[in-house]
Amino acid sequence: MWRYILRRIFVQGIPVLLGFSFFLYLVVTLAPGSPVTHLRGVPNLDSAVIEQRKAQLGIDQPFLVQYLQWLGRIVRGDLGLSFDSARRPVADLIKERMPATITLSLASIILGWGIGIPVGILSARYQYSILDYLITFFAFVGISIPSFFFGLILLYVFALKLNVLPAGGFFLAGEVKTLAGYISYLCLPALTLGLGSIAGVARYMRASLLEVINQDYLRTARAKGLAERIVIYKHALRNALLPILTLLGFMIPSIFSGAVIVESIFAWPGLGSLAIQAVNERNYPVIMGINMMFAVLIFLGSIIADISYAFADPRIRYD
Amino acid sequence: MRRWLMVVLLLLCLSVAAAAQEAPKQGGTFRYGITVNPRGMFNPILYTEVYDGLVIDVVYDGLIYIDRNLQPQPRIAKSWEISEDGTEITFYLHEGIKFHDGVELTAKDVAFTYMTILHPEYTGVRYSNFNMLVGAKDYKEGKTDTVPGIEVIDDYTIKFKVEEPHAPLLVSFGYGILPAHLLEDIPVGELEQAPFNLNPIGSGPFKFVEFLTDQHVILEANEDYFLGRPNIDTLVYQKVAQDAIPIYLQQNRVDYVAISADQFAQVDAMEGIDTYVYEELSYNYICFNMRQERFADRAVRQAITYGFDRQTYVDIIREGFGIVANAPMPTASWAYTSEGIDTYDYNPERAAELLAEAGWQPGPDGVLEKDGMRLEFEFLVPEGSRQTEQMALLFQQNMEDLGIKVNLVFMEFSAAVDRVDAREFDTFTMGWSLGVDPDPYGIWHSTSLWNDPGFYNDESDRLLEAGRRETDPAKRKEIYGEWQRLINRELPTMFLSYGVTISAVNQRVKGIDTDPGPLGPLVGRELVRTIWLED
Repeated sequence: MWRYILRRIFVQGIPVLLGFSFFLYLVVTLAPGSPVTHLRGVPNLDSAVIEQRKAQLGIDQPFLVQYLQWLGRIVRGDLGLSFDSARRPVADLIKERMPATITLSLASIILGWGIGIPVGILSARYQYSILDYLITFFAFVGISIPSFFFGLILLYVFALKLNVLPAGGFFLAGEVKTLAGYISYLCLPALTLGLGSIAGVARYMRASLLEVINQDYLRTARAKGLAERIVIYKHALRNALLPILTLLGFMIPSIFSGAVIVESIFAWPGLGSLAIQAVNERNYPVIMGINMMFAVLIFLGSIIADISYAFADPRIRYD
Repeated sequence: MRRWLMVVLLLLCLSVAAAAQEAPKQGGTFRYGITVNPRGMFNPILYTEVYDGLVIDVVYDGLIYIDRNLQPQPRIAKSWEISEDGTEITFYLHEGIKFHDGVELTAKDVAFTYMTILHPEYTGVRYSNFNMLVGAKDYKEGKTDTVPGIEVIDDYTIKFKVEEPHAPLLVSFGYGILPAHLLEDIPVGELEQAPFNLNPIGSGPFKFVEFLTDQHVILEANEDYFLGRPNIDTLVYQKVAQDAIPIYLQQNRVDYVAISADQFAQVDAMEGIDTYVYEELSYNYICFNMRQERFADRAVRQAITYGFDRQTYVDIIREGFGIVANAPMPTASWAYTSEGIDTYDYNPERAAELLAEAGWQPGPDGVLEKDGMRLEFEFLVPEGSRQTEQMALLFQQNMEDLGIKVNLVFMEFSAAVDRVDAREFDTFTMGWSLGVDPDPYGIWHSTSLWNDPGFYNDESDRLLEAGRRETDPAKRKEIYGEWQRLINRELPTMFLSYGVTISAVNQRVKGIDTDPGPLGPLVGRELVRTIWLED
């Protein structure tokens, strides 16, 4: 097992991340637009100031030099300085916002799996019933509805009309930080971000359970007189859950990228607004830093999914 | 009897209200909503973003501040003197002003602040505001170690000298004064990475307390402020989501916030919230590339302007929040004039006439042609604003009626700027936010970096140079009046509208400017010091 993990990291992971960083840097710097565009707002500006700024940022160098300099810093654990006027370390910018993004993503994963799995089971157990049709209908609505639209609906209903939840944001300055308060701020963004996963997980769970239910060994189980409850929850469910575990690995990237959009709707203090701002401003070190961090997280996510698969399914062995 | 009771009650209410107005209350937290996070560059000579400026405005004081009529008023300087020939400004400083760490602010700090801007390794963008000081250029180029144009006379007197009078200079002295004792040991080139920028110490009415990324900035009243302690205890810049602003107002989570035109009706109807609409120092435009022969023809530029229904653009697309513009000097500026300015009211017949007189004839496909040139061109539109995109569609439609074919090219902002900088455009639309001084030199002089239309006109250059040299405001206004008439006639760009800002203020906030000028109900951040909060 350990050999497998090490092989995944060194033989597979590092070359993939290297290649990814190269192409990302290429795409990011090739895109039209320049990191010094904001200087356009300054009248009376001397062109020398623009050239000086470009030299300070290092963007007067050819692409390969820029990339190698960036790579040289990153292997030493330095993500560089942001290109904006404050020139703060990219690592600090990410660190300040990371906890909020992780919290939101975890909350939405818990919602997705916590609600999606039971709903999927119900849907499969009562296949072709009214309940099943209703669940299927809402699952498709949930998959199809754009998150920014769903977020605005939630804001309109719960914050504006019912006035029971805050309109996004986070604790006001001076507000006492309680667990209930934390949940009330987290509630709407997590639901918005989690909606797609709830619906997706429910559909997968239904399909996976239905597939298992028709297997021979379940017929055997029923034939020997086991209660239906035990048949489903003890024998069928365990096997049906396997594909759902892999799904977790696949869904992590989409949850993180979804978080970027949801955060900007709710002014959630995570990486979202930083990422969007960085792209608009061609802030290369910040774009690279955030993307590389996501790449590493996604990579780790897929390893975890593979390993948990091995734990759950005795037929799978990594040697 | 009942009527009498009513009158007595009414009088009572009025007197209570009057009393409340007379005696400002102390205490409370004032929440100012912001939609964009500050960067954390709380240094008056290095910041470039408006939202960092909000913090800087209250943490630091400058030699002067700008009042509601855009005029300089004494602040750290209790007065100033300008020499007869206009080449020397002497500032006399208040004694006993303290930085937030208790150290006294003197002329040495003032000199340090401005010397840093002129330093060869300075990384900010303010140098060109002061490069006319005597000896500044030599110092910037590293030829000398001193700037004769900045002279500390004694602890409370400092003199600035210029080669020739430079009218816009005075209002540039509003930049916050830095504490020399905390920064003078840091090499100027490394100043932008100094921890100081995240924990600023100034001499202003509020002390910096905390900056939490994407959440808030907290500032507290400076008990020892030399003009008296602010009435509120705490000032909070609170990050809010643009779409959720009306809800924030309704839930009393912000006291003051700028709102967009499409939020106006909803917010204006809210109980306890007042809205203020005021003209700002900005305009937007459609720029012609006059380097192309077809746009070098003034008749074409005028005809296009006559042919575009800008009033409909302002009334319908901007929902009335704007003013049709005909020159690059906003109505809110003291240099604005309407005298002799042609308003180019929507008149497609006049437009067609002008084009026909200039020799433009419809080609086989109906598009106007002349000497092998066609009036078919690209219109570069930066994405992201619904109003701009609708304006582009209206423009395309209006032009089609004249036999002009407009091909819309929607582009992400930064990419569009690339094309404009490379001069690879036919026409594009953008806007300008202007400074307090009306000087248009930096945008319109033929040597300016931002002369996007390629407008090279000797008369315009002469007026712009004269406007900078003239220190008498009345004469200066005349010069800029003449310049506006010239631009209005030549139309190097078509001016669309002057911008307005809408502020929403909770009624518990007292002491704001209820008839706001271009700086708004708080006159920039000036009134944050004196407003008070009703329970």
